[in-house]
Amino acid sequence: MSLEFRVTQRSLSQTALAGLQGSLAKLGDLQQQMTTGKLINRPSDSPTGTIQAMQFRADIRAQEQYSRNAQDGQGWLGIIDSTLGDMTTQVQRARDLTLQGISTGTTSSVQGRIALATEIDSIRQSLIGSANTTYLGRPVFGGTTAGALAYDPNANYLGDAGSINRTVGPGVSVQVDSSGPGTFGTGTGQLFTVLALVSNDLRNNPGALTADLAQLDTASATLQTQRSDVGARYNRIAQMKQIADNRILDLKAQLSDIEDIDLPKTITELQLQQTAYQAALSATAKVLQPSLMDFLK
Amino acid sequence: MDSSFGGLNTALSALYAQQRGLAVTGQNIANANTEGYSRQRVQMRAVGGPPVGAIYSVDNGVGGGVEVAAVTRLQDELLVSRSRTEHAQDSYLTGVKSTYAQVEQIFSEPSDTGLQAQLGELWSNLHDLANNPGDLATRSTVLQQAQVVVTGFNSAHANLAASWTVSRQVLDSRLTEVNTTADTVAQLNQAIRAAVNAGSPSNSLVDQRDAGIMRLSELTGATTINRNDGTVDVYLSGSILVGGDVARHLQATGATRLEDEGIVPVVVQWTDTLATASVAGGEVAAGMQALGQILPTQSASLDQIAVSLMTVVNTQHTAGYDLNGTAGVALFSGTGAADLAVAITDPHLVAASATPGGNLDGTNATALAALATVTGGPDVAYRQMIANLGVTAQSAGRRVSIQDGVKQQVDSALAAQAGVNLDEEMTNMLAYQRAYEAAARVMSVIDSSLDTLINHMGVG
Repeated sequence: MSLEFRVTQRSLSQTALAGLQGSLAKLGDLQQQMTTGKLINRPSDSPTGTIQAMQFRADIRAQEQYSRNAQDGQGWLGIIDSTLGDMTTQVQRARDLTLQGISTGTTSSVQGRIALATEIDSIRQSLIGSANTTYLGRPVFGGTTAGALAYDPNANYLGDAGSINRTVGPGVSVQVDSSGPGTFGTGTGQLFTVLALVSNDLRNNPGALTADLAQLDTASATLQTQRSDVGARYNRIAQMKQIADNRILDLKAQLSDIEDIDLPKTITELQLQQTAYQAALSATAKVLQPSLMDFLK
Repeated sequence: MDSSFGGLNTALSALYAQQRGLAVTGQNIANANTEGYSRQRVQMRAVGGPPVGAIYSVDNGVGGGVEVAAVTRLQDELLVSRSRTEHAQDSYLTGVKSTYAQVEQIFSEPSDTGLQAQLGELWSNLHDLANNPGDLATRSTVLQQAQVVVTGFNSAHANLAASWTVSRQVLDSRLTEVNTTADTVAQLNQAIRAAVNAGSPSNSLVDQRDAGIMRLSELTGATTINRNDGTVDVYLSGSILVGGDVARHLQATGATRLEDEGIVPVVVQWTDTLATASVAGGEVAAGMQALGQILPTQSASLDQIAVSLMTVVNTQHTAGYDLNGTAGVALFSGTGAADLAVAITDPHLVAASATPGGNLDGTNATALAALATVTGGPDVAYRQMIANLGVTAQSAGRRVSIQDGVKQQVDSALAAQAGVNLDEEMTNMLAYQRAYEAAARVMSVIDSSLDTLINHMGVG
């Protein structure tokens, strides 16, 4: 028997079948990509891509959380800022009243000074009320207290020394509250104590008012400093939020690049593969059909 | 001196031989698409005179016609043995690949619903807790999400264990198939030896036996040695599986669930000696690989990640203080992915605060949320595990596609060598047909010569 390479109908059909199956498998892969819209449907499709996709997803989730945290922080700092602005105006009014008390001095009538003192008292009560401003039920000047008030009606601090922070970036934590003692002072220098002193001196000791004014200015300056600090922190959080939001967009684009199919490309490939499959089918049908049997009678 | 009727006999032998040729051609065409059929050829031999001259020899020096020496099976043993090797390797690799595909399905990554996403949701909820430590609803959400993560680990483990159990059952049924196929091969060996001794044809028996041996190779990577009496011995890594008409049997012993594999590993052993059988390839080796390597390794990795999650979270959680102001207790309990559980049910007991006294500090919750990116933490370890899974599964897939190509080539060569070519059969058929016609013609010519001799000579 000669050993030249034989070709048989069966070897032809086996090869043709294997080719057709390979072609159909490729068609199936492309179809899965089209229907899921994903290039990577299991880790082995692209181990590197899988890890990047998982990493990007985790990053997106983290950045979304940072953005949420920042939004919450903006809520806190926004309410503190407007409260402090409001309070500054009232303290300014108290200063005007004190100056009025000094300028009229002992010469003015007691009734006039008592009227000033009454207004100071009401400003003080209003300020204590402002110092108890809450955000989502929590006093914003009370540290981490579980109670509802930062100051009692007698201006005693009820909060604690804790601070409230928001994580707004990887390892970036920003304080979003303002400590009551830090904002309004402590001891004899406390804003509310100073106002009580002013009220008392207006009534009983107008001579001490000049010294009181100095103390009021010191307390007011502390308030101002705190307000600008809050403003700075608000800006910082707003920036961090912007960064997080931009990063989310970037990451989503990158994730899509890795994971999602390029629609026009996939459709074109699908078409090509379909054409190739049909061509293979028709060629196979033509090649496998004839044998000598068709031509012998 | 030539016999008057000798020519008739020569023509008759030609008629017989050509008829046999046509019959074999018919058989070949009939089996053109039979899996494992080897084409057959009629080997004809001229009948010559006696090789040694004798006193009363009547040999005319021409010969006495034709005889069928044998109907041979055209098969290349080298190709057959190569085909068995490639088939064994292909079924081994395909088995390994399908196990990896199962594991990939169990973890279903990358997705928005896998374990990675569930962990991410837990860290997010802890951030929310840090933002709102006093809210019981937020605290409950943390505990519920922790339960979701725990369920994710539990069910991943359960799925791996179920996959293991199925593989174990498949191994048993494969070994049963090995045993019955070995029995069949032994019986065919016996039948073929008897046929060879009796000088009768055994081609179809040999084809059947080859199909059986091919199946044994696909199952176990078995190799063969041909014996002179027509039988074939089948070996598993040097140990005899089928020797002549005797077949040995295999069985699997050891663990029947994934949890026991580390203690009593599954082994394949001989039923007669109880010695461990070394199965080098095929589906059985792929099953052993899945049972002893792939699934236990994945399960151990998952356990490590579960323990890592439990350790880092509990360490941080016990460093904090709950809503009642007392020190935090462990959030997770368990020893691995199978029994990981959430240890607390009261939302007050989530330790969000870093300081005692029942305040609304969220520092510890922030610290817990930051565990998402801690080096060596569960997220990083999980991604690493999925990366390893992806790489090994991908390489298994590539090896299968390469091996498929090799197997395809060998099969094609085998089909080309031993398969039926219809054109060739048609040509042969024509040749036999014409030879038959010619022999019939010879007969009628001799007949008419004899007619002339007998009926027309010397008759008035």
